[in-house]
Amino acid sequence: MATEVEGVLPKSIHEVVTTSKVLVVGAGGIGCELLKNLVLTGFKDIHVVDLDTIEVSNLNRQFLFRKEHVGRPKAIVAKESALVFNPNVNITAYHDSITEAKYDVSFFKQFSVVMNALDNLAARSHVNRMCLAADLPLIESASAGFKGNVTCHKKGLSECYNCTDRPRQKTFPGCTIRNTPSEPIHCIVWAKHLFNQLFGLADEDQDVSPDSADPEAIGDAGKAALESQSEKERISTREWARSLDYDSKKLFQKFFHDDIKYLLSMSNLWVTRRAPTPLDIDDLPDAVASSSSAAAAASTVLKDQRIWSIAECEEIFRESINGLQKEFLGGNAEPLIWDKDDDLAMNFVTACSNIRCHVFGIQQKSRFDTKAMAGNIIPAIASTNAIVAGLIVMTSFNVLRQQYDKIRTLYVSDREANRRKELFAMERLAPPNPKCYVCRDKPELGLKADLDKLTIRILKEKVLQNTLNMIAPDVELEGKGTILLSSEEGESDEIIDKLLTDFAIVNGTRLVCDDFLQNYQITITIVEMKEEDKENVRNKEETIFEVVGDLTQLNPKAEETNAASPKPSTSNGNKQSASVGNGDNEDELCIIEETKDDDYLELIEPTDENVSLMDTSTPPKNFKRPYEGTPVANVPVKKRRVLPAPDPNNTLDSDVVQID
Amino acid sequence: MTSATPSPKSPEVSEKSKKYDRQLRLWGDHGQYKLESSHVCLINANATGTEILKSLVLPGCGRFTIIDSKEVTEEDVGNNFFLELSHVGQNRGECAKTLLCEMNLDVSGEAVIDDLEEHLSVHKNSKFFDRFSVVIASELSDKTLKLLSRTLWEKPGKSIPLIYCHCIGFIGWIRVQLKEHTVIESHPDSVIDDLRLDRPFPEMVEYFDSISLSSREDIVKTPWLIVFHRILEQYVKSHLLREDSMNCVNKENPHHLNTQQKRAFKEYLEKELRTMGLHEGDDVFAESMKAVNTALTPTTIPWQVQEILNDKKVTDPENSQFWIMCAALKAFISENNGLLPVRGVLPDMTAESAKYIGLQNVYRDKAKRDAEDVYNRCQSIMEESGNSPITLKPEDVRLFCKESCNLKLIRGQPIFEELETCPSSIVNEIAQNQESPNPDCMFYVMMRAALRYYSEFNFYPGASDPEQDITEFKACVSRLLAEWNCNVNGNADYIQEICRYGGSEIPSVAAFVGGCVAQEAIKIITGQYTPLNNTLIYNAVDCSTTSFNLPTD
Repeated sequence: MATEVEGVLPKSIHEVVTTSKVLVVGAGGIGCELLKNLVLTGFKDIHVVDLDTIEVSNLNRQFLFRKEHVGRPKAIVAKESALVFNPNVNITAYHDSITEAKYDVSFFKQFSVVMNALDNLAARSHVNRMCLAADLPLIESASAGFKGNVTCHKKGLSECYNCTDRPRQKTFPGCTIRNTPSEPIHCIVWAKHLFNQLFGLADEDQDVSPDSADPEAIGDAGKAALESQSEKERISTREWARSLDYDSKKLFQKFFHDDIKYLLSMSNLWVTRRAPTPLDIDDLPDAVASSSSAAAAASTVLKDQRIWSIAECEEIFRESINGLQKEFLGGNAEPLIWDKDDDLAMNFVTACSNIRCHVFGIQQKSRFDTKAMAGNIIPAIASTNAIVAGLIVMTSFNVLRQQYDKIRTLYVSDREANRRKELFAMERLAPPNPKCYVCRDKPELGLKADLDKLTIRILKEKVLQNTLNMIAPDVELEGKGTILLSSEEGESDEIIDKLLTDFAIVNGTRLVCDDFLQNYQITITIVEMKEEDKENVRNKEETIFEVVGDLTQLNPKAEETNAASPKPSTSNGNKQSASVGNGDNEDELCIIEETKDDDYLELIEPTDENVSLMDTSTPPKNFKRPYEGTPVANVPVKKRRVLPAPDPNNTLDSDVVQID
Repeated sequence: MTSATPSPKSPEVSEKSKKYDRQLRLWGDHGQYKLESSHVCLINANATGTEILKSLVLPGCGRFTIIDSKEVTEEDVGNNFFLELSHVGQNRGECAKTLLCEMNLDVSGEAVIDDLEEHLSVHKNSKFFDRFSVVIASELSDKTLKLLSRTLWEKPGKSIPLIYCHCIGFIGWIRVQLKEHTVIESHPDSVIDDLRLDRPFPEMVEYFDSISLSSREDIVKTPWLIVFHRILEQYVKSHLLREDSMNCVNKENPHHLNTQQKRAFKEYLEKELRTMGLHEGDDVFAESMKAVNTALTPTTIPWQVQEILNDKKVTDPENSQFWIMCAALKAFISENNGLLPVRGVLPDMTAESAKYIGLQNVYRDKAKRDAEDVYNRCQSIMEESGNSPITLKPEDVRLFCKESCNLKLIRGQPIFEELETCPSSIVNEIAQNQESPNPDCMFYVMMRAALRYYSEFNFYPGASDPEQDITEFKACVSRLLAEWNCNVNGNADYIQEICRYGGSEIPSVAAFVGGCVAQEAIKIITGQYTPLNNTLIYNAVDCSTTSFNLPTD
């Protein structure tokens, strides 16, 4: 900008600010605020990456975007808007995913610091590894509602992003979704799958019909006969619906009556569970005949927030199917993409999930709540993002001057944090976790698995990619050089569905897994799962594998949780595993400043100061904090003048504002 | 997917609710309505001020008015995103208003060019400030701040909330002035479920007893609460109420178990559940065992709520919705065994729909009846007091009853008093360690001195001649400390730290403080969440944030 605001900042900060090249990953809520702060602060060379495009629901906080920008790439528009303010800054925008291979270690190495303004664990883990590989400091941030946090990761000095266990996106076993839902979310996931089966990109992993291959159901009489029938249906749910011209009554009858009756025939499933009750469309309960249309017309908001009767659900089921069918068949027969902000799609999922909840005796949810769950919605406002982005830049001053001892992790909250009267809790950076599966020297993990079921595909997708957040893994047998999995396109296609045992992999075999892009290598020792564990795992419908952090843990005695290891994976070896909005909705991966709900909880809570229920009006007596050093003064006065040369006799510990 | 026209009966979602979707999840439609009906006043459109308005315009506050008599300087443009070079020389408030309004077409803004002091003297007794839901001010002299604070505090009728904020270099200061602020929805992080196992109401007992638990078949389909209740009653009868029992600690309410009894009960519960044929794999089993700690929490009235009910305003609620409802609530409690209305919300439980819904209805109906009772009491209170202009809707009372255990009241302290008296908590804190006093307390002293300095010189320390300013500022600090009888060594570094910036703002500090002030403004406007009471010092040197309640903590 024309007003070169030289002198606003202490000289040592001004110097690093004007000479540093920074990478901002994410141009969403935090990203927009951050770009503004960086430009105002005087950073000259800013690169910003975001793969997302602008949506209406971004406009309540992502202030670099306007209504007319909806649909355009965030990174590009953010750059344009920031340049209007200050055309003299170099902003380089990439409308891209940061996990692309072109953003390799040498790309990262051109920067002085990386600032994450991301919304998901996978990308955060990836950038973490790239920064470790390039030995770059990473400033990590998150916000959700009135809460947020900022911290810094620096190789060797502090813990890395993966040093603590991050609860990952919840996934659910296919059997739970298709056969034995017990929570509203199971029915919501099922409803989203049904949407894709009928109108969207059909995915064989998202089958909605009863799964007769459920290990629990094995042994049921008449199973084989039914199986062949369901096998036929599986291929053709959409064709079948089309052949009926999407007759909503027949669809209703199949999904909520016939399929449920079929499930009931798998009697093993209902020994300890409450059995579902098939619904007859001609005899719906709570048939509020008026369908409260008068009340509904009076307030659409109310309808969004109250729970619909089953009769209402059926009505909305019918309407949304008719509407969606027109859209689907009317246009160029492009598959529809489920979008939580699309009214018809959202109505469809709300109606279907509520009917299914009713069938299985699960509590029903309002449309408003269903939307939050189906879309993984995390509340977000401008003010919290402004606070977080302000803290990121303040942190960067210390990072760029390599004064890591002064950096703190800060937890923003809507109430006083603790007895010491800090509004926001702060903590020193934790040292690296010596058992971290990412940043320690020669990382190792154990993989406890049911070897009768572990295929290379499961190893790749569920273990290496979903659990360990690799992008393009290579795997070879240690010492033998046998390549089990190659990241080169197509090279492993032929063997990908083979079992690991086909390659003489047994208990104790060591696999060297490598992600070239992340410059990350980990050795995984295979441990055969014991028979009783297999049983246990089957009963819980959980998983066919478990990642164990510390190899010493593999002896049966020491199986307590280990902070260094990812939690026993909840992901499922079963091919039909389903996840809340994992990949089936571009939207939910894209809300940049937002962490996934669980993720955020884990990130935000300060370790020892959680006194949220404490009354804040009765102050405890002592609120002293240790204080190191005093702000030092020998620094130029801001804009207008510069103080005389620093006093060499000043021996005080310098702080943020020290002159070099 | 292109958006299709939804049929008339579908729950139509407007463009607006799409835009605000992410925040409606924090404060709801009613909070949004209050925000959209609000009128925010900003005095001085500096970097912090425009940051605040940005975070209020984006979520859709109704209107804003900027009062600013200054002209845009090049320095302003350098640290304020809502000013452009072409604005230099023009009125700052007017220019900022234009760019702020571009962000959200639903918000209307205006700029008032008059000098604030004139405004205060001209409008002192006029209604100029009455229109505002909250006034936010920055960079004032202590003389002007005193005047503003008093004007808003002493408004006849209803005082207007004031937030003062000020950033100098790495230091930020926020002061919230609230004469009386009441919160119905305080959004606590966690609420203990209102289950009433220790104080059951008749309909509850009747329903619980009507459920057959004779077979395992029955039990696995029953909500855990019913099973739990059955076993708890058995336990209380057989273990605590026996003539010879020494176990009962609380004869008045044997359900209130101490830690030891809880442990014993947990064992008993597990044994009984197993006797019923249940095991770990059953949801009822797992959920019952998990509930032991919370479900046995005694039903009481939190002391903060008790304090509100003892407030003088309860006996004289004037024309305040909140206090009328409190008066009604108090009457309700005294005639209902000292209990708050039933909240009527149950946690999720795995069970057969019919049974769960039946259970839910028992609590919900009771909550509805309790709320109706409180509503009727409100009506009679209003009738007694004659022509009350207040209208209370049944749903207002229902919400109030549901949240009655989370009510919050803030009676704040005025800024003008703080500026005239010794801030004893700060002074005491400094006195505890004169050699190296608490830096956040020291920075508070510096900010106060800077305001006073501005009153004397009409610029901030460091903005004129660095060396001379330091000398003058030092004298200013000393006078202030002397007034407070406060001795402190080594404040030279703090003095230099303040002078170095000549009163100017650093963008990221302004972003932080601006965000914090916007949060507080939203809390005040929506009447949800608990606002800061009343001072925050942000010390970016140490990245600490300390809150105080001044002047008398």
